[in-house]
Amino acid sequence: MTTIPGGAATTQAIRPQTALSEPGIAPVGDRSSGWRRRVAYVVLIGYALLMFLPFTWTVITSFKTQADSVRLTFIPNPVSLRGWENAFTELDPAIPVLFANSLGIAIAVTISNLVLGSMAGYAFARLRFPGREFLFLLVLATMMIPDPLRLVPVYQILRSVGLLGGNLQYVGVVVVLAVAAPSIFLLRQYFMSIPVALEEAAKLDGAGFFTTFWRIMLPLATPALAAVAILQFQGSWNGFFWPLIILTERNNATLPIGLVLFQEQYSTRWPELMAVVVIATLPILALYLFFQRYFVEGIAAAGVKG
Amino acid sequence: MAAAGSRPSALAGRSERRSELIAAYSLIAIPIALFLVLNIGSILYALYISFWEWTTRPREIIGIANYQEILGDKVFQRSVTNTIYYAALVVPLQMALGLFLAVVVNQKIRGQTFFRAAFYFPAIASSAAITVLFIFIMSPSGLFNEVRSLLGLNPLFQALGFGPGHNWVGNSSTAMNSIILLNAWTTSGTMMLFYLSFLQTISREIYEAAAIDGAGPWQAFWKITFPLLRPGHYFVATVSVIGALQLFDQAIIAGGSGGEPANSLTTMVLYLYREAIREFHFGYAAAVGIILFVIIFGATLVQRRLFGQAPSW
Repeated sequence: MTTIPGGAATTQAIRPQTALSEPGIAPVGDRSSGWRRRVAYVVLIGYALLMFLPFTWTVITSFKTQADSVRLTFIPNPVSLRGWENAFTELDPAIPVLFANSLGIAIAVTISNLVLGSMAGYAFARLRFPGREFLFLLVLATMMIPDPLRLVPVYQILRSVGLLGGNLQYVGVVVVLAVAAPSIFLLRQYFMSIPVALEEAAKLDGAGFFTTFWRIMLPLATPALAAVAILQFQGSWNGFFWPLIILTERNNATLPIGLVLFQEQYSTRWPELMAVVVIATLPILALYLFFQRYFVEGIAAAGVKG
Repeated sequence: MAAAGSRPSALAGRSERRSELIAAYSLIAIPIALFLVLNIGSILYALYISFWEWTTRPREIIGIANYQEILGDKVFQRSVTNTIYYAALVVPLQMALGLFLAVVVNQKIRGQTFFRAAFYFPAIASSAAITVLFIFIMSPSGLFNEVRSLLGLNPLFQALGFGPGHNWVGNSSTAMNSIILLNAWTTSGTMMLFYLSFLQTISREIYEAAAIDGAGPWQAFWKITFPLLRPGHYFVATVSVIGALQLFDQAIIAGGSGGEPANSLTTMVLYLYREAIREFHFGYAAAVGIILFVIIFGATLVQRRLFGQAPSW
């Protein structure tokens, strides 16, 4: 839930071909003997398994019966779809509603961050205007503001403009998450790394600022746009703090909020609960498998913790 | 920043200068407006609200009465103690784990990419999903209790005062420690990534020189890597402390808005949330927010004094 100021990590990590995806230097152990290496691998593999075990356990439990769910067996006996069935038929709000809410909000937040982030990022990187440095510092400074401090004032602001009622709650959440400072920062850094010569060629051909931005700069910034998109989609999909505060209509809830509602209601019906955990996690897991690089770079660049 | 300035002056005519200004301000208008209202403006608004008795609507200006009431409130004091206890334990754990993983993954090993991806894996799931899963694993007949019984560790746990069906998250003596364990685990991958980017700035020659002087890997780590990572420690510690002082998601998911059992999971942010959203004490909650901000800011300054040399951000 927390956004944290980007650190020294930023400067190295955002450049087009970043060091993070290259094989690292081997400071220690270059000449280490075989046994040390073997011990290292055992530790590594053991720890890696420990990382996957809980989620594997979730998937297994979701296919168990209620009675079987508290037993230490790795193969469900019998394999049961009851948990999944109940999750889809019994829970209120229904899973498809939660899923659609999560997806809709995540898409809106992602697009908004891409559009607003690249606009501001381009202006801060390339255009000259009075107050540029000051306004950019202002943007960075907002990363120092803890979200909880903003709870009361943002709640009051949204209430006074009527964004806390009914379906306008969706708008409220998206407005609060519409543009994050890391999106602007990441894109600005990337735009600054693109050679000026490319724009000058466009200028000579008579292109204005908007044409240059749209036709030349944006296509060149695809890797940074991808990093911002992944970061924001994941952040919004997993988001808890603002949805909990703003999406108070039961049917407006996102998956994380719904999951917590279910947990209160169905406290020990583990197969059902684990099925919902799988549903809430699977889309991000799929994204992670395909775009692992962007996850890692986006996090290192923006200093954003989930 | 010099990029824009290097454009040939022949092109920088007056009308072009004007259209550049128009372009610039229209590009930043919406983002800056949002930041001014929802971030900068909201701090000032929070400060303003904190001087009011403000429930469902503003009642009257009461000066610093909210602050006085908060500082004397037993539950608030409990929330501060809980939060500081959490931060004091989770920050060193996260840092040590993150550093350990980063150093290991930074070696010349096969499957480096795989291990990095695996160690970061717990950080990709939502706090809600991972906390519900954790509650399940730590429940009386959950995986944790079953496995320790299988490994024959029950006598050890019994000696420490935990029966075979101990409810880790639901018991006031172990609830916060369980959350510490959970968050050290899920955040270590992120801390690893931060440390990795700092590790990669350390030049290889230093290690080669050390190896020629006969330094082993252990010595190389403590004599070279650890001290040279000072900016890394500073950055990771700062990020980690700021995050820890705002513990909320896991606390409310495991303990409800009451921070159950017996306020053992009531953190400062949970207290703020409860006062605002459950009790509609907006003036009071705004003041809690200001106090939280002062504490976070103070902690950052202290760390800067102790460890930094501000990094180049």
